[in-house]
Amino acid sequence: MSGRRTLSAWLVPLLVLHLIVIFASFFAPYDPTEQDRKNPYLPPMRVHFVDSKGHFHSRPFVYPPKLREGSFDQYEEDTTRTVPMKFLVRGASYQLLGLIPSRLHLFGADSERIYLLGSDAYGRDQLSRFLYGGRVSLFAGLLGAGVTLLLGLFIGAAAGFYGGWRDDLLMRLAELFLALPWLYLLFGLRAFLPLAVSPLQAFFLIIAVLGALGWARPARLVRGVVLSAKERDFVRAARGFGATDGYLLRRHILPETSSVLLTQAAILVPQFILAEMTLSFLGLGVPEPAPSWGNLLSSLQQYSVLISYWWMYLPALIMLPFFLGYLGLGSELQERMEPYKIGR
Amino acid sequence: MKPARANCSSRRIVWILPFVLAALFAQRIAYSQPQKNSKEELLVLPGEIGRSGGRLVVALRAEPKTLNPLIAADTPSREVIGAMQADLVHINRATQLTEPALAKSWKISPDGLQYTLVLRRGLKFSDGYPLDADDVLFTFRVYLDEKVHAPQRDLLMFEGKPLTVRKVDSQTIVFQLPKPYGVAERLFDGLAILPRHLLEKPYEEGRIAQLGALTTAPNQWVGLGPFRLKEYAAGQRLVLERNPYYWKADTKGNRLPYLDELVFLFVPSADAQVLRFQSGETDVISRLGAENFAALSRQQGDYTMVDAGPGLEYNFLFFNLNEPNEKTSAEIVQKQKWFREVKFRQAVSAAIDREAIVRLVYQGRGAPLWGLVTPGNRHWKDEKLPHAPRSLERARMLLKEAGFSWTTASNAESTLVDSSGKPVEFSIITSSSNAERTKMAALIQDDLKQVGMRVQVAPLEFRSLLDRVTQTKEYEACILGIASFDADPNSDINVWLSSGGTHLWNPSQAHPATPWEADIDRLINEQMYARTFEQRKKLYDRAQELLWEYQPMIFLASPDILTGARKSVGNFHPAVLEPYVLWNVEQLYQKNEAVNASR
Amino acid sequence: MMRYLLRRSAHAVFLLIGVSLLAFAFTVLAPGNYFDEMRLNPQIAPETIAALRAEYELNRPLPIRYVHWVSSVLHGDMGFSFAYNTPVTPLLLVRARNTLLLTVTAMVLAWGIALPLGIWSAEHLRRLPDRLVSWGTATLLVIPDLALALGLLLIAVKSGGLPTGGMVSLNFENLSFLGKLRDLLLHMALPVVALVLSVLPLLVRHVRAAVAEVLHAPFLLAAEGHGIPRRTLLYRYALPAAANPLISLFGFSIGTLLSGSLLIEVVMSWPGLGPFLLEAILARDIYVVIGGVLLSTLFLVGGNFLADLLLYWADPRIRTEGNA
Repeated sequence: MSGRRTLSAWLVPLLVLHLIVIFASFFAPYDPTEQDRKNPYLPPMRVHFVDSKGHFHSRPFVYPPKLREGSFDQYEEDTTRTVPMKFLVRGASYQLLGLIPSRLHLFGADSERIYLLGSDAYGRDQLSRFLYGGRVSLFAGLLGAGVTLLLGLFIGAAAGFYGGWRDDLLMRLAELFLALPWLYLLFGLRAFLPLAVSPLQAFFLIIAVLGALGWARPARLVRGVVLSAKERDFVRAARGFGATDGYLLRRHILPETSSVLLTQAAILVPQFILAEMTLSFLGLGVPEPAPSWGNLLSSLQQYSVLISYWWMYLPALIMLPFFLGYLGLGSELQERMEPYKIGR
Repeated sequence: MKPARANCSSRRIVWILPFVLAALFAQRIAYSQPQKNSKEELLVLPGEIGRSGGRLVVALRAEPKTLNPLIAADTPSREVIGAMQADLVHINRATQLTEPALAKSWKISPDGLQYTLVLRRGLKFSDGYPLDADDVLFTFRVYLDEKVHAPQRDLLMFEGKPLTVRKVDSQTIVFQLPKPYGVAERLFDGLAILPRHLLEKPYEEGRIAQLGALTTAPNQWVGLGPFRLKEYAAGQRLVLERNPYYWKADTKGNRLPYLDELVFLFVPSADAQVLRFQSGETDVISRLGAENFAALSRQQGDYTMVDAGPGLEYNFLFFNLNEPNEKTSAEIVQKQKWFREVKFRQAVSAAIDREAIVRLVYQGRGAPLWGLVTPGNRHWKDEKLPHAPRSLERARMLLKEAGFSWTTASNAESTLVDSSGKPVEFSIITSSSNAERTKMAALIQDDLKQVGMRVQVAPLEFRSLLDRVTQTKEYEACILGIASFDADPNSDINVWLSSGGTHLWNPSQAHPATPWEADIDRLINEQMYARTFEQRKKLYDRAQELLWEYQPMIFLASPDILTGARKSVGNFHPAVLEPYVLWNVEQLYQKNEAVNASR
Repeated sequence: MMRYLLRRSAHAVFLLIGVSLLAFAFTVLAPGNYFDEMRLNPQIAPETIAALRAEYELNRPLPIRYVHWVSSVLHGDMGFSFAYNTPVTPLLLVRARNTLLLTVTAMVLAWGIALPLGIWSAEHLRRLPDRLVSWGTATLLVIPDLALALGLLLIAVKSGGLPTGGMVSLNFENLSFLGKLRDLLLHMALPVVALVLSVLPLLVRHVRAAVAEVLHAPFLLAAEGHGIPRRTLLYRYALPAAANPLISLFGFSIGTLLSGSLLIEVVMSWPGLGPFLLEAILARDIYVVIGGVLLSTLFLVGGNFLADLLLYWADPRIRTEGNA
């Protein structure tokens, strides 16, 4: 069946991408919090094989940056010396998966730092920040979306399936949730939390807050579909044969909601990563100096970055394959649900 | 419309300008009294002669909330009011010295308790109604009225006693102070003189604070400033027009202001302000961040960018030194043991790389800071204050002397521990809406890591932060910035005094908690009532040195005032005092006739 | 039907009361109050701040403040703004009008683009057009709204053709009627584009999914077999069959008319509720915030109500239940 092949065509690359993020500490050349104060806003270094004199090097190399006279952030390549890239080098120590201590990195160099994605305002390596940041953001986004959808599914299905006063109550509750000034509650919530939030705490906070606040929309979408699905002939027939509510929901009604849920999921993951920016503003996000994708993206919202530091947009560009993967996977799964639909 | 009150004063009193602050007044430009109109004593301003007409468009970060100086508390309102109102004595934003305004002269009695001010002749409000001493009396009655809750009242109270005002004749007013005060005439700066003919009735009915909404009809709101109300569009703009009765003129005798219209656009985001300036929709821009200043400078346009030098904003780190109460968490109480240790604070100060802050946060457009008085303050900086460069050795030495030591784990960096073996770990709260201070925190975190301190940065939304610092006192350390209104030390009085509300590390104390805070209180109070600049300066320098020695505030850096203007704007001379670019708005002019046609 | 309407209206009233009560409670939970910022002004004494707080009843117990506020709502004032020192209603209404002008236009455009685009994408499922749409929507999803808005503004500055903010030009009053219309449309162009782009991914994805789901349904295959033209097939038969989730989505679109454009309004300096409410939230001008919340709750309730009516009307199966 060709469907199975295309499904793996989406799954395999996504899996590889996630593995890279999980093993960020190996793929990232440096500690993401380490500041290199003489190199703020350094553009990405170009990897060369041929030097300025036209000689070919079998080992790729970069030229070290040189600050242009009298400027703060204008660099040029110092072509007088080359910095050869080395692979599988020993560098900053880390613990792989939080367990195995190691110093091995995919690449590095001896004397100078290599910035393949440039550096930020403090001279921190953007590539390392991107990879480490993904560990928090990607999984917070995935889990957050999962929690949200699960809540939305349960509440929406209950409202749609049982109808009557339960539907009214749940849907008014959803409206209440959508209407309230959550920002104020979050201000208040922040006041009850410890002063410094660790990245791990932030991780769970993001999931909890986003999940708790986000369920209302998917719930309404699900409810609409369930309302319609439960009146279908085959459902009524099954009911007539004495099928239990649980059986009806599981077997006939919830599968109908898959398309709505998958679409929501593919949209919610990136939205949640962006929502992290808002939470950071409230002091509920991933705190400095720990990297997160939300933090990386929030620097894009500055005019000066847009004008002067184009490479700060590279992380957003590299996030694209992840989200495309989710979208593709989502529609692929939806296709595979099709057999149910044909028999209606 | 010329009511008969105008010719009340027949006597002609000629006052000689009293040079109380002789040293300060040395560089004063001579102001001559023009005799163009025998009834009208216009103030003549030196400077480039401009072209009359045209309009200047300025962006404000937020909508002004009110036109009423009695209730205005936000920056945009103050900026707008500044263009519509006038004061008796004014502080020149460029020289940072006082100069005559509505009062053409003033005299101080030998005991320093009596200030006699003489009003300029022929002054009129923007509706043409003449001004006299009764308006001044009315104004101060309102400011001093407890029921009005005007913020100005606090400036006019001296140890709980108000200043009193008395009228001599229609042009002469005597202010009586309960105590001699170092620079009383600076008090008058920014105190708008209110129109009695419009406001007396509402005041007596107790509804004066409700007046001055932006939707007020233009003819119902008058002032003595260069511009008057023309039009307000909610959420969009406020348009002011030229006040034809303004009391200043240029050296050729042209009545100021030059501009026909002053337009304030409400542009709520900093980046949007930059874009609108760049696209030519606004004529001047101020309060720019270094990164946006650089971005504008890098691109060519028909504008000039001006770095006016360091302003009066001081950014600082401070530790929670409040007396613990029953609600204070045990953790904070325990950490306060470190914070109270002077050598600990000195070590933190020594370990901070101020040069890096200036370079990385302000892109070099700022000045490192070792005291509260910034390099932008011309007269009050203490030259003797040491400018200690970063020294990790000194920091380590101080920590060792205070009983701290280091432990080294097998793989990690060394950790600083106190005498009981507890690792030194604390958090710094900072305002998440202020990118610059958040950056400083990230740099300091890294700086302090190098002496083994583990610091967490906790960005908080601004009100939540203020609540922790001023109300609940639940914080460990904090980075904040304060921009002084005036170069004179008295504008920061509540930062200095242990009883002050902005004595942030331990505000509103009943009695000074430490001997050095008692010393500072004494010095600051003495300088407030000292008579000569030299005396005051000596006392103030000593207070600055004490602050440096005990480091309750660890000063970090002061940003430059960054501004820009279209090349068509004449007389553009930004100052480091607020309002940075509009302080000489009456002299600003548009060089080109057609400049506004396209808009 | 009448009974249903009455019941929904009663619900709406209860919801509004609930929202206002909880909103009041939240404002108490949030640390700080409007007068706190004065504490950082070294020239204002703490006593003055305390007096101001007392004057605005910030020291009174919450129930009393709530009762006073409700009576103010009944008088049409919706409380008093600390910052502007005036009643809230007129402040809100002017700005809500500006916001609606923007968001209604954007909503109509967004749906007008999303429907054909989503259908087109579903029709060419997993072929090039679908892939292109996927790429486009994914890109829009990763770029923060604010960065998008800034990018658009930058293009406007560089090209010089469009105004970079505001609602009208300074010389608006002097323009002819057509000139006024043109001026307004020019100023609306960028914020509308930014808004459309920010909601488009969501709409397109849902339209695509919903239509793709019904595309292989037997009745459509049968219709195709009968030689009904493709266009008619898609828009007349497939779209209504796929309408269920889209109707709920449409309800949301209406519900977010007042609240969905806050950030873009700030960046584009559009004189709507966005900059106004954002400032009020941060400054703890609580009655303004509560007023804004109530106003947008009205839209939310209205949107969902409309969606329910549409669902009832569009989906015969739900209708049968309604009669039962």
